Amino acid sequence: MHKLLDILASGVHDAKNQLFIAESMIAAAEAAHGIALGEARYAIESAANRLSRTLTAYHLMRHDAAAAVTPTIVGDVYDEVMLAQQKHLAERGIVLSIDCQVFDEWPLDRDLVTDMLNNAVQNAGRFAGQVVHLSATTDDDWLCLRVDDDGPGFATLPPATGTGLMVAERLAQLHHRHQRQGSLRLSNDSPLGGARFELRLP
Amino acid sequence: MADYSKKRFLVIDDQAQARDALRTVAQQVGAFAVEFASNYQDAIFRIRNNLPDIILCDYMLGEGRSGQQLLEELRRFNLLPDETIFMMVTGEQSYEQVVSAVELIPDDYIIKPFSPDRLLLRLDRIVAKKLFFAGYYKEKRQQEYAKALAILEAARDSEAGRPYRFEILRQRAEVFLASGDVKSAETAYRNILENYEFPWARAGVARSLHKQNRLQEAREEIDRVVANTPHFFDAGDLKASICMAQGEHAEAQQILDEMTKKTPRNYLRKRLLAEAATLNGDTATALAAMADVIANDTMPGAISAEDRLATARSHINAGDKITAEKVLIGIRDSELQKMGLMEQAGFAALLAISSVEKGKIRFAGLRPAMLVTEFNSTTRLDIMRAALSLGDHEMADRQSGQLMAGPDAKKVFGVARTQYALHGREKDFREIQRQVALQRIKHEEDVPPAEAADPA
Repeated sequence: MHKLLDILASGVHDAKNQLFIAESMIAAAEAAHGIALGEARYAIESAANRLSRTLTAYHLMRHDAAAAVTPTIVGDVYDEVMLAQQKHLAERGIVLSIDCQVFDEWPLDRDLVTDMLNNAVQNAGRFAGQVVHLSATTDDDWLCLRVDDDGPGFATLPPATGTGLMVAERLAQLHHRHQRQGSLRLSNDSPLGGARFELRLP
Repeated sequence: MADYSKKRFLVIDDQAQARDALRTVAQQVGAFAVEFASNYQDAIFRIRNNLPDIILCDYMLGEGRSGQQLLEELRRFNLLPDETIFMMVTGEQSYEQVVSAVELIPDDYIIKPFSPDRLLLRLDRIVAKKLFFAGYYKEKRQQEYAKALAILEAARDSEAGRPYRFEILRQRAEVFLASGDVKSAETAYRNILENYEFPWARAGVARSLHKQNRLQEAREEIDRVVANTPHFFDAGDLKASICMAQGEHAEAQQILDEMTKKTPRNYLRKRLLAEAATLNGDTATALAAMADVIANDTMPGAISAEDRLATARSHINAGDKITAEKVLIGIRDSELQKMGLMEQAGFAALLAISSVEKGKIRFAGLRPAMLVTEFNSTTRLDIMRAALSLGDHEMADRQSGQLMAGPDAKKVFGVARTQYALHGREKDFREIQRQVALQRIKHEEDVPPAEAADPA
């Protein structure tokens, strides 16, 4: 086994266990005292996602990342993104809306795709004026997952990419099916006037 | 949203703090009754004695055990009805890789940390899904396979079934396999593969081909699965079984040797290793594996008559007939009486080999039944060996003829030939082989080619 990878993975694993204990205590305190600490829990989950993404990025750089593809209900993924992001965006006056037109199960890596979408919604929320919109359609046997915002759009195209976008692009490509490969498209084609993040999966 | 206040939760985790955290989260979704299990044995005990409605199980259970192993064992002993919710909880991202590959999966898994809201969302989904499949589960449990399939067919074409289309296809294939319709199972798994290259579906094809005794094709399919998903250990088990059926015992043992090192507490795999090692002539490994099984497979009822017979067989192979006799004599009368005819025959044969004096009367008593009953190849081999050592040529030749004509011919060929050689009867064995081959040719001439048995 790869030693460095083992050390990193077990460190991430332990940290996430600790974060879970913290989050459960906060949830108990919220219930016991009737207070809302959603932002604290949001910060905890963001930290955990960041840790996971770092480990994923390391796998990608070692070229041993693989998608764990399971049949997934797209609407369920969107519900989870909604649950994770809606309140946080609302704190800043931004509305997150969803339009999912895909009703069949689709083979994809549920956790990676959920993380990519969470990251994309977070990014969009940073630049949006009032709205971030999530939509899902099928197009000629491709699954198209989009995050649109009404902000100023990307200043340059292609945009300067951080870890999140680099990871998203490579992870999209890990989705293979019938000799077709997933891709990520970033554009200023949002019907809301701002940026569009579009994941196309075979 | 379902009402969880009346549901009984069981939280399984070896870490006290993590158990508390899981209980807290469960209480936030409305759980009232939350029980704890702190280790593997404790979990099995609680599930056996008082089945919970919802199980939240950590993936890492300590002591070399995993939640996945627990799930497999619960299914193996039929302790987990389809209606019970089993949710794996994990901080390990690597568990996704397991779920995407293996055939036996939990209802869902959730990665830590997570909020009570997210757990609720997940549980609600599982409840909706179980409600959708409720009628099917009932028919499947009663082994009403035709009815179960009819429900799945209707579900597949319904609007409400759209979110579950892969699950429906998967269940359909499993029902075909369970009902013994292995050709339809093969087709069903291939249909899934047309959609996506799921490792579990490819393994399903291999399993269906193995059951049709199309060994070479089965081997090609399972080789692909094992090469692409080395962490899918059940596929490794299947590959080892196919190798044994092909007579490649050294390869089978090597696969199982490697895997049992990684999963030291999987005792089904240990048994398979003992079988492969026995066929491969590695008596020491077979003995050690069976000793480990008998000492450590602590599930009540896990140690079967077959396990004791396997242990005695290993001692005989090691040339230690006294210990073999001890193992056999040590089987309680009550246990002997509960044995089926096949185990009784195996017992009589092994005892006759270990101690002619103690075994020959029992062997003679069962002899008429042994001549006419269908037994598996392991039992036939035992009877053949006993008959050879008792000088009962008719019985020995009858068993070896059946073995060479049966689907396990390649698997047992080496062992059978060695036994005949030991008794100076190599020529007779070659004659039996020749007769079987002649019979097969005659049979193939009688039957139109399309219906002839697959030569593989």
